[in-house]
Amino acid sequence: MFWSRSNGAGSPISTNGVAHAAPHAPRLIDLRHVVKNYATAAGAYTALRGIDLGVDAGEFVAVVGKSGSGKSTLSNMITGIDRPTSGEVLVGGVAVQQLTEGQIAVWRGRTVGVVFQFFQLLPTLTVVENIMLPMDFCNTFNEHRHARRERALFLLSQVDMQMHADKLPTALSGGQQQRIAIARALANDPPIVVADEPTGNLDSHTADAVFHLFEQLVAAGKTILMVTHDDDLARRATRTITIADGEIISDRPNYAPHAVVDDDVDDAILLGDEELRLA
Amino acid sequence: MIPAPRWRKVLRDVLRNPTRTLLVVLSIAVGVIAVAIVMGAYGIIAADLPNAFDATNPAHANIRMQPFADDLVDVVGRMDGVADAAGRRVVSVQARVPDPEGPPGATTWQDLQLLVIDDFDDQRINIVRPESGAWPPDKGEMLVERASMAALGAVEGEPLTIKLANDDERALKVVGQAHDMNEVSLAITGLASGYITPDTLEKLGLDRRYNEMLIRVAENADQRSHNEEIARAVADKVEKGGYTVFRTSVPRPGEHFLEQFLSPMLLILGALGVLSLLLSSFLLVNIITALLAQQTRQIGVMKTVGASAGQLTRMYLASVALFGALALAIALPLGTLLMNALLAFVARLMNFNVVTNRLPLPVVAVLIVIAMGVPVIAALGPILRGTRVTVREAISDFGAGSTVFGRSRIDQALESIRFLSRPQLISLRNTFRRKGRLILTLTTLILASAIFISVFSVRASLFRTMDDAFAYWNYEVRLNFARAYRAEHLAAVALEVPGVRAAEAWGLRNVYRVRPDDTESDNIRLIAPQPDTKLLNPTLLEGRWLLPTDEDAVVINTDLLDDEPDLRVGDRMVLNVDGRDVAWTIVGLVRSVMAGPYAYTNYPYFARMVRQVGQADILNVALEDQSPAAQTAMALELERVFEAQGMRVVGTETTAAQRDQVGDQYGILIAFLALMALLLAIVGGLGLSGTMSINVLERRREIGIMRSIGASTPAIMRIIIFEGVLIGAMGWILGALLALPLSRILSDAVGEGFIHSTLTWTYSLGGAAFWLLVMAGVAALSSFVPARQAASLTVREVLAYE
Ligand SMILES: Nc1ncnc2c1ncn2[C@@H]1O[C@H](COP(=O)(O)OP(=O)(O)OP(=O)(O)O)[C@@H](O)[C@H]1O
Ligand SMILES: [Mg+2]
Repeated sequence: MFWSRSNGAGSPISTNGVAHAAPHAPRLIDLRHVVKNYATAAGAYTALRGIDLGVDAGEFVAVVGKSGSGKSTLSNMITGIDRPTSGEVLVGGVAVQQLTEGQIAVWRGRTVGVVFQFFQLLPTLTVVENIMLPMDFCNTFNEHRHARRERALFLLSQVDMQMHADKLPTALSGGQQQRIAIARALANDPPIVVADEPTGNLDSHTADAVFHLFEQLVAAGKTILMVTHDDDLARRATRTITIADGEIISDRPNYAPHAVVDDDVDDAILLGDEELRLA
Repeated sequence: MIPAPRWRKVLRDVLRNPTRTLLVVLSIAVGVIAVAIVMGAYGIIAADLPNAFDATNPAHANIRMQPFADDLVDVVGRMDGVADAAGRRVVSVQARVPDPEGPPGATTWQDLQLLVIDDFDDQRINIVRPESGAWPPDKGEMLVERASMAALGAVEGEPLTIKLANDDERALKVVGQAHDMNEVSLAITGLASGYITPDTLEKLGLDRRYNEMLIRVAENADQRSHNEEIARAVADKVEKGGYTVFRTSVPRPGEHFLEQFLSPMLLILGALGVLSLLLSSFLLVNIITALLAQQTRQIGVMKTVGASAGQLTRMYLASVALFGALALAIALPLGTLLMNALLAFVARLMNFNVVTNRLPLPVVAVLIVIAMGVPVIAALGPILRGTRVTVREAISDFGAGSTVFGRSRIDQALESIRFLSRPQLISLRNTFRRKGRLILTLTTLILASAIFISVFSVRASLFRTMDDAFAYWNYEVRLNFARAYRAEHLAAVALEVPGVRAAEAWGLRNVYRVRPDDTESDNIRLIAPQPDTKLLNPTLLEGRWLLPTDEDAVVINTDLLDDEPDLRVGDRMVLNVDGRDVAWTIVGLVRSVMAGPYAYTNYPYFARMVRQVGQADILNVALEDQSPAAQTAMALELERVFEAQGMRVVGTETTAAQRDQVGDQYGILIAFLALMALLLAIVGGLGLSGTMSINVLERRREIGIMRSIGASTPAIMRIIIFEGVLIGAMGWILGALLALPLSRILSDAVGEGFIHSTLTWTYSLGGAAFWLLVMAGVAALSSFVPARQAASLTVREVLAYE
């Protein structure tokens, strides 16, 4: 398959072959009445006020809203980075809020790829090592000595960064670092990618290129939830959720994002990737 | 195989910050080195010394008696319980040696014992080994104990002039050196040893027969009480045969006489070694805490991509273990080097050959455990805490609030300070920002300061105690005469000599105690001053001093009490004086200064007892000018005056020379203590520079901001250096205070261990002042380096996101 060379070592929930799930099927991401309170010096602050949200496999969800509205808090619920005060967070049928911190780390490593605004590559590891690190931690792709490196180089080639494989991250530009961060998020072939303002720190041209990578991921069957401030980019997702004061105030599908897929194929041909044409 | 990326990260993090790595590694290394020196030296001495000592087949008992011949040796050798017996002759003479304190060419007399060995190539007990030159010596030749060469000014191939008891002077050619572990080292007693054949003895006109019986016990020779039993049986047997036994001594079996002196020293050193290890682990805690704080975000990212807390804990523990391994790589060779220096020193003092020059394997094993284990244990807490942070805490800009300035009462107090300049305020508040770190750094500095000052105080106390002790010998020169002369006449002659303040003739005998169970003690000096003596200022610890009316009363010193611990003031005690047992009452206890066991009694009673009423063979002279040079000069002058009047002087002693000798023994101890204090000082310095460099590293951003709003390079450096000096100053003040009780404890321990009484405690203000200088230097330097580094960063560098 495109993007993944999954051989069972990856996720508990396989997305292989799933393009668009039927509406009545269980949802891949299912948030029920999620409330999040923060204790602050001025008393409890409610960042999320009973969020109900379902996302199906293969969706590309953009989350928008003003600063402080609760976007990051919401994405942290899904990645297990933070726990809800009340409510349920079900991802692939797993009740994330019930896992221990240690279980979450393992679960997340294989199920959710996380992309940050500030790329967060480890400064002392080379680009390819940064991508191998999640496989190392989760003990995946160890069928032979070079499996991890091969996969890392493959992922790098997918984001067009293979020529920087053995450089340190500090030698690269922001856009380059973010592509590598995306490759890293895909290291363990997770079905879901959550990105919190992945383009927030990039100029519009570079942001566009990075966004395009996400579109390719969706085309390959990944489910993506992306927090963004950029309305133009949000419109290119399959669905846009708007949050204000910890509540979803609008949730609508976007139409005609399909021209993008054609672009995809062109790009992929440029990259010379055979698997891509099969998609 | 290429290690997995996470282990590569561990490796690179260690390598990426060489300064920090160096600091951690050095501080662990210093602790490990301290332990290596003490444990290694102890291990080697404990193994080599008994081996070397056993190889000489040391006597289990030594009986001094009237002259005897081989037939008696055979009789004793066949006795039950005796494995072997040997006779030998020991002759006390004096050797003419260059006088180091006199004018060039001047000579003086050095006590020398000549041991007569029947057959140099067939020795069985107290074996003396060849060291260099000829072996055995021919008639008219002698060998010199290797440790006595310097004191005798002896040169192989050159003659040495000796003076016999009858004042005959003879020349013996020194043809080589011998090594004899059984003679108490010259460094301790001031007595030199030489070895001759019976033929040479005869040539000197002396009796060829033996005067000392050496005995090896057959079974259970490791029990001193058993050896004493055998020795008593032998003494009884020879006395029945008509020989008078003068003295029996039974040494602690299998133990070199200096071992007991070594143990307390190594104990104190060991304690200091462990302490420096402890303090170096404080620095480690600081650095690891800072490292983890610095890497919080990275920890968050690693957790996000699937790392468990356990994996992260192992990663950071591995880096600590790596620090430990690097420290070990430094500590093993350096520790071996320093240990060998220490061993060489001890070996010279104890006159034995150190065979081993490598750290014993068990010690290496212990050091490995310490070098890896102590850091891991020290770092475990910070690491567990650091790797337990949740991803949200690690990634978000909230959280990590506990170290934010402004919360505690100290902070509020600091905020209310108004009189300092703005940059000084920054320094002051920065100092208290990381309180845990400050506490550990201060603890290190305070303890290092306290111990440094305490070591100096122990030194001051030792010298003060010595001054006190020597003050009771209120005379400067002692003359020993060949025979007894009229006491009043001796004093009168001396008083005629210009520069003499006072002169008293005293009695002196080497005696021994006969214990209630008939066993005998080692030598005791029985000193008989004049009843109203002005030449003694004893430091009484118990009981009273002698009264003029006292008859059979003695005052004993603490060294005697240490040898004969059953003695109490008020008890009766039997001393064998000139072959007769005499009973005495102990009326007082005075402090001694490594002078050996002494007992004092009144001269008139003593004179009657030794049948020399009105006569004496010792004269103590007090001088107006008490300088060492004047003492030596006056000793010569007095000798000349008496000789001119036909009274033969066989030896002179000056208190200055004695004092030097005792001082040398203390000097060894002080040198060791100072070595350890130095290691602690290094740990303290490393602690401070470690803290300062992490402080600076953590505040790079702030420094960048200060720069961007116009702070000049000197301004930034001043802020950082001021902080370092502030911490240093706090460490010094508190350390100097802590040294008050600590130096007292240490000086008590040293006193107890070495002179068996407490020292006259003195706080060394000089030591405190000296340490202040050291500390100021260390503080300035250890903050200057990171300060300059910080000031050289460009704004872009520090504000750039990693
Ligand atoms: N750890 C915390 N403690 C207290 N309040 C918090 C904490 N984390 C978030 N908040 C508050 O919760 C609200 C939502 O925060 P969140 O980070 O989700 O906003 P956001 O929509 O991502 O904003 P932005 O676009 O600026 O990133 C904010 O008002 C924030 O102040
Ligand atoms: Mg946000």
